Amino acid sequence: MKKSLLTIALISAIYGITTPVSAFAKDVNLLNVSYDPTRELYQDFNKAFAAYWKTKTGDNVIVKTSHGGSGKQARAIIDGLDADVATLALAYDVDQLSEKGKLIPKDWQKRLGHNSSPYTSTIVLLVRKGNPKGIKDWDDLVKPGISVITPNPKTSGGARWNYLAAWAFAQKKFGGDEAKTKEFVGKLLKNVPVLDTGARGSTTTFVERGIGDVLLAWENEAFLAQKELGVGKFEIVVPSLSILAEPPVTVVDKFAKKHGNEVVAKAYLDYLYTEEGQEIAAKNYYRPTLESVAKKYEKQFPKSNLVKIDEEFGGWQKAQKTHFSDGGTFDQIYQK
Amino acid sequence: MKFNYSTFSLALITSGLITLPAISHANDSAELEDLRNLVQELSQKVKILERKGENNDEAAAAAKKESPVIKASSSGFSFASPDGKNEIKFRGLLQADHRHFSDGANDVRGRSNERAGNLNPDGFHSAEDTSLLRRVRPTIEGKVGGKYGFRFTPEFAGGSASAVDAYVEANLSPGLKIRAGKQKSIVGLERLQGGGDIKFVERSYVTNAILPNRDLGVTVSGDLFENKLNYGVGIVNGVADGGNISTGTEYNGEREYTARLFATPFVDSANALSGLGFGIGATWTDYTGEKNLNFTDTTAADATRNGLPSYVTEGQQTFFRYTSNAIADGKRIRWSPQANYYYGPLGVIAEYARVSQDVSLANNGSPAAGGAAAGASVITAGTHKNLKHDAWDVGVSYLITGEDASFKGVKPKQDFDLDKGGWGAWELVARYSEINLDSDTFKNAAGVYAAEGSGIGNAFSDLTKSAKSAETWTLGLNWYLNTNAKVSLNYARTSFDCGALRKGLAQTTNNNASGSNVRDREDEDALLARFQVAF
Repeated sequence: MKKSLLTIALISAIYGITTPVSAFAKDVNLLNVSYDPTRELYQDFNKAFAAYWKTKTGDNVIVKTSHGGSGKQARAIIDGLDADVATLALAYDVDQLSEKGKLIPKDWQKRLGHNSSPYTSTIVLLVRKGNPKGIKDWDDLVKPGISVITPNPKTSGGARWNYLAAWAFAQKKFGGDEAKTKEFVGKLLKNVPVLDTGARGSTTTFVERGIGDVLLAWENEAFLAQKELGVGKFEIVVPSLSILAEPPVTVVDKFAKKHGNEVVAKAYLDYLYTEEGQEIAAKNYYRPTLESVAKKYEKQFPKSNLVKIDEEFGGWQKAQKTHFSDGGTFDQIYQK
Repeated sequence: MKFNYSTFSLALITSGLITLPAISHANDSAELEDLRNLVQELSQKVKILERKGENNDEAAAAAKKESPVIKASSSGFSFASPDGKNEIKFRGLLQADHRHFSDGANDVRGRSNERAGNLNPDGFHSAEDTSLLRRVRPTIEGKVGGKYGFRFTPEFAGGSASAVDAYVEANLSPGLKIRAGKQKSIVGLERLQGGGDIKFVERSYVTNAILPNRDLGVTVSGDLFENKLNYGVGIVNGVADGGNISTGTEYNGEREYTARLFATPFVDSANALSGLGFGIGATWTDYTGEKNLNFTDTTAADATRNGLPSYVTEGQQTFFRYTSNAIADGKRIRWSPQANYYYGPLGVIAEYARVSQDVSLANNGSPAAGGAAAGASVITAGTHKNLKHDAWDVGVSYLITGEDASFKGVKPKQDFDLDKGGWGAWELVARYSEINLDSDTFKNAAGVYAAEGSGIGNAFSDLTKSAKSAETWTLGLNWYLNTNAKVSLNYARTSFDCGALRKGLAQTTNNNASGSNVRDREDEDALLARFQVAF
């Protein structure tokens, strides 16, 4: 009797030692709902995170991503697209997940470093090779005959950054004269022949369809277009003044909890702040926030004079209400 | 030097000749540049228009994804969310019938509620020809969140509105469906066939007489092994044989348990067995008879007042009733093996059902009426019995126009259309069905046939009034005008064992102890016609 017990104990011990962790591994599905130009970033990042999570826990994490105009994506989540994490273009869209969707706490931005923006970017001007129209700054975009490509601020986060960058330039140029600023931005919008719903759509319009003289673009998107989508066909023009774009990220608590993904979703976002995550961001032309990585990629990003949304526009809530809500300045000056 | 005009002219002309192409060249360059600019401008405009078109297409595609899907088809009218997870459907079934009787009685003899007027020589009222609306059932069914749904089907036929189906359900997976509310009993095969899909004008004795119709409760069902095995279990209030529970009545505190297994093992095969299905259903309950006494709710149908049924013919004429003081008292167990088979235009359905019913008699007035004025009715000691009734049927259908037969409706190869020459689908049907009641039903505790007025009482029914078996041959024709419209014609001949008083005896004479005063109830010859629209 004792002999058989001993045998069972031994077999159990050997089994316990030799059974690989993978025998108990589970598959985890995670949905990241993001904005338009982050496709390449998260393609790389998801692979890295899956490998990291596998090593750490033994679990197989499969991250699916959905991309589109930031505002549109936020509305989709509120309407039931059950994202575990949201990585959107601007804080106002994430605020909506709290205010309208009750999906995340109001103080979501405090949960992660740098106001929950693991990487930043800015708005630059992408022109065709040789800069045939001689575009050097925002001033040039309001000239007659200049065709400007930018997406629709009603649906695209990138477009809102573009609009505010132009607005900030005009305000400075006209010493805060709102009427003249409005007129300036109005003239610029008159030069826009097509309003795409998202930044990637505008890139397609400019790069692939050959429409327009200048694309107002995320810096990362401009680099991508220049180095990967149309090598040697485009040049980046850094305007004299632009805006610091801080795309935020958050766990969508309600859906992550529903899927039992709270831990992995948080780990996914935390991983964006690690050296590995920051390296991936930098390689995809996003400005890293981790100092060591930022220093390493310092030369990649041109020095720019950047205004901040909080300082220049009183934060996203105010900027949204003033410029992009129904009846805001965009509605007032944009004529189809 | 003398000015030479000719030389000058020549020089002018020559210089003109020389310089003309240069001027012309300069003009060409400017035009070319203009043309180039124009082409570029037009090219941009075309590209912009194309891009706007692309964006509009994308916007339209996105809008389509968000637009509700509205459908109007032969299977009903519906509108649904673009992802199909939320949907409301409107469906309907309307059957206009005519029944013609060349022979037959309209109820059991001596029925207490018989109408005034002349009885026929056998002591019965004759079965009356009638036109009626058999089913008038609009249906609203819906789905929310993809997995949860409901169905509400009122019935407007029969003079008053009632709820035929009213349930909510959770379709958690193909193998797990939970349904709560008033619903079809899961036990019988022909019962589970839609009211618009049945092959005969009326269902068989197995379905209409023995097995439950609709009940209130919770059922769990599902398809397993790639739809090769369907299971169902339920806990319901319990209804008398053939009973259709009213939505608000629970006349007995006991639960009835129901279960069914149905296999279609060859469903994925391409051979002749692919259309074979077989299974078994059962119900079990145990009533405390005393709970069936002293009812004050007199609005419920008397078939369910005492927990016992009455049985009807295919022409829907009652040929068997329990005596008014009989009550369900104890166990009721039903079981029903069943099978169907479809191969090309041929369809066969066969079922057997047996009910084992514990009964007792009550005294001091009718339990259904709440007892006599003098006091509440009570169970009569020594009257408890177990009765076993059974029924079976085999029905065959054949689509002579070559369509495939199925458990569900028929889709004609060509719709009936006088202009285009289509004649719809035509189907021949034939069925034999019978029901046999336990002889003990008609005997008292001592095993003697008893009858009201004979001095010998305490039986559960009277052989001179109720038949103890019925056998029916049904022949028919179905004409499917299209998927939604059907015309049916059935001829049903039913013969009975007992159920009438021997000729020549006064109507006040009842059967004697041996039952020798009994003869067979007159055969019923019924022609049943139906015009149906279902969607």
